Amino acid sequence: MNARASHTILAAAVITALLLLAGEATAPLLYTAANTSTAAHADPATVPKESGKDADVLIPLMDDLLSETGTLTLNIKLKDYESAERDLARYAELSAQFDELVVTLDVSGNDIGEFQQNNQENLASLAALLNNTRRFEDLQRIEIEVQGDEGQGMAVVYEGEALRQKMQEGFAAYAEREATVTGIAGHYDLNATPYRESITNFAEIVNATEDQQEEVGGSANSPLEIAVIPDKGRYGDILSIAGAYTGGTAGTPIKVYVDSQIAGNASLDASGNYACSYQVNRTPTGLHLAYATAGTVYSTVTAFEVFPGETAITLAVESRTAVTCTGNLTTAEGRPVTGAPVLLRVDGTELVSTETDQNGTYTEEIALPAGEHTVRAEFDAVGYPLNASESLTETVIVQNEGLSPLPFIAAIAAALGSGWYLRRRHRPAEEPAAELPKTVSVEEESVAAPPQVEIAGLPPREAATVLFRTLRARLGLPDTKTPWDCVRLAPAHTGFFKRYEQIRYAGETPSEEELRAMEEEAVGGDQRAA
Amino acid sequence: MQREFWAVVLLLLLAAGAAYAHTTTTTEEFSRYNVGWNGTSGLAAGEVHDLRGLDPGTTLLILAPNRPFTAEEVGNLRTFLDDGGQILIADEEGNANRLLADLGSTMRVRPGNLASLDRDHADPGLFTVRVVGNDTLFAGVETFRVNRPATVTGGDPLLETSILTWDDGDGDGRPGSTEAFGTAVVCAKEGNLTVLGDPSLFINAMFAENPEFINNLQPVQIDAAHSRTGTVNPTINTLAWVRETPVATAALAALAILPVAYVFGRKRDA
Repeated sequence: MNARASHTILAAAVITALLLLAGEATAPLLYTAANTSTAAHADPATVPKESGKDADVLIPLMDDLLSETGTLTLNIKLKDYESAERDLARYAELSAQFDELVVTLDVSGNDIGEFQQNNQENLASLAALLNNTRRFEDLQRIEIEVQGDEGQGMAVVYEGEALRQKMQEGFAAYAEREATVTGIAGHYDLNATPYRESITNFAEIVNATEDQQEEVGGSANSPLEIAVIPDKGRYGDILSIAGAYTGGTAGTPIKVYVDSQIAGNASLDASGNYACSYQVNRTPTGLHLAYATAGTVYSTVTAFEVFPGETAITLAVESRTAVTCTGNLTTAEGRPVTGAPVLLRVDGTELVSTETDQNGTYTEEIALPAGEHTVRAEFDAVGYPLNASESLTETVIVQNEGLSPLPFIAAIAAALGSGWYLRRRHRPAEEPAAELPKTVSVEEESVAAPPQVEIAGLPPREAATVLFRTLRARLGLPDTKTPWDCVRLAPAHTGFFKRYEQIRYAGETPSEEELRAMEEEAVGGDQRAA
Repeated sequence: MQREFWAVVLLLLLAAGAAYAHTTTTTEEFSRYNVGWNGTSGLAAGEVHDLRGLDPGTTLLILAPNRPFTAEEVGNLRTFLDDGGQILIADEEGNANRLLADLGSTMRVRPGNLASLDRDHADPGLFTVRVVGNDTLFAGVETFRVNRPATVTGGDPLLETSILTWDDGDGDGRPGSTEAFGTAVVCAKEGNLTVLGDPSLFINAMFAENPEFINNLQPVQIDAAHSRTGTVNPTINTLAWVRETPVATAALAALAILPVAYVFGRKRDA
């Protein structure tokens, strides 16, 4: 390596070293902590920024929500329904903002989440209070208009009683939340006074409704009595609706209504009593009202309550040509839920609906493409006094029906056809190839005149080259042929050419004796001697 | 040949410089020799190894203490406080509680994992607190960014978190059912003694977050004898010892000069 090259390499090494060091100088990773967060602290430069979460409005918003309840209930109490509607709309809007903020800030897990849940229930209670109060006032007006018509009058009384009971129930739930809500308000130093006032207002509204209902409860002294035994039940329970009709004659038909819908028929026995059974089936959770009629005579209104129950749904899948899904829907007590809609969720999205039979069993066949699928059964419990449930997710593999042999046959046929075509097309070209270089026979060589060669004074290896060229020329082989080509074309001189190859490429030096032998073979002396 | 020689010398010098930089820096938390984000190399402050005769015109910063104070040292600190000196103890592990008790303070550091919604970073431990007390340290400051602080109890509050703060016991970064929101004091004061529950405010990565506070702190000296601002790196400690020991410095200088003197002496003789 010359001096210039070594200088160039050295200069390049220096420049590379300088560049590498300069690059590291600003961020010396070699001696900087690689991680950007420890138990004691985080590097603010590496922590992503967060914006628009508005955590600072969370507490003021809670204050506003509590404040809204006071004004809303006051306006309902004052029967200023227009203002109450505006208050309710505002309250709903603030509640929606609050709900969104709770989700954004991810604070549903602690007392803020508890406040949110109570607020949602308060909103529903106050919306119901407004509607019920307005409806109750309408009923007062209608009652005056239908005076004299006992049938319509009874319907009004019935609805009024239903409203009264609903409002009472709503107030009980609203008041029950007071301790929780005020406790949370106290923790965050919120003004809970409007909320407490709203409870007082709510109570006054309900009390006023009860007073009015007592005044108009015309059927309180009806000769037709009614009672529901027991007065509470769950899905599948059978309740007895029974009573006595003072002054009624045996065989008098009695119609029993639940929530204004006819629920059963009975007739008076000899003692003047009647009874019919009512099964809790698609009876929503909550309070329900029942009354009976005997011709134009209406009974008092009585109530019974339906409690929610837990459910369990099973799922078994079997894959043949289609996927067969079967399972049972039962209550926690093992009672079958009959005629209930069941949704089969396939692969998390697709829904297939089916229904349970009298035993709570459902069966559905689903056609699915080949591959792995997940299936889950769901019962949403809408319209039932039951809670929703879902089965475990089952995985099913649908096998392919089998591959058609046609594509394979077609592919093999195409391959065979292509092979045949190519073979046919290349055959003419192969024929001339058979006429490739002929070997030089000893007889042919003898025809040629012996060439003249002078190697005296040449170095041994150059002399060997001259002799190789001489022999190659004498045999009529082209100048482009290498010693190895010559071995192939003139096998009679294999020894000569292989020796020359060693001299030429392996760097060996021939002896004088070898040169003489090679010279003799090159000029054809060996043949002549033969 | 001459040019090649100098090029090789240059490369050797660069390599030696890189090796020096590598061996004289560290990644230890709060170390004054750590030039990375979690070191305190950028804090302009003198170091104090002996607590006797402290200048009462300065603030003594005891940053992330991890070694106990002797009775004599506690006495020195009391004298310093009585003379009008300011002491700022920045601790989040509770190691300073013994010293605080010895100094007669009611303030204590309560370690925890404070997190808050009052923040503009994704890390819940990196949040904003409010200045609620009057102190020259926080003059001109209304809000303050802290970095995974601890709660300070007792004393007069100087820095307080918003109510949307919780002790993230399970470390999931979100308030759970047992993690109630509430305010927490992260800095309090009793006389000339201030306790800050966040030593991270002095790491290099946090200077830009609270620049007024760092300015207000001056003039400041760091206690290098009891805190994590030192290092266990033997090279650094040896160099520091040489710098601080005049005899060692003189000996080292002599070692460097002797070969040169020898070479020059030989030339003159020749």
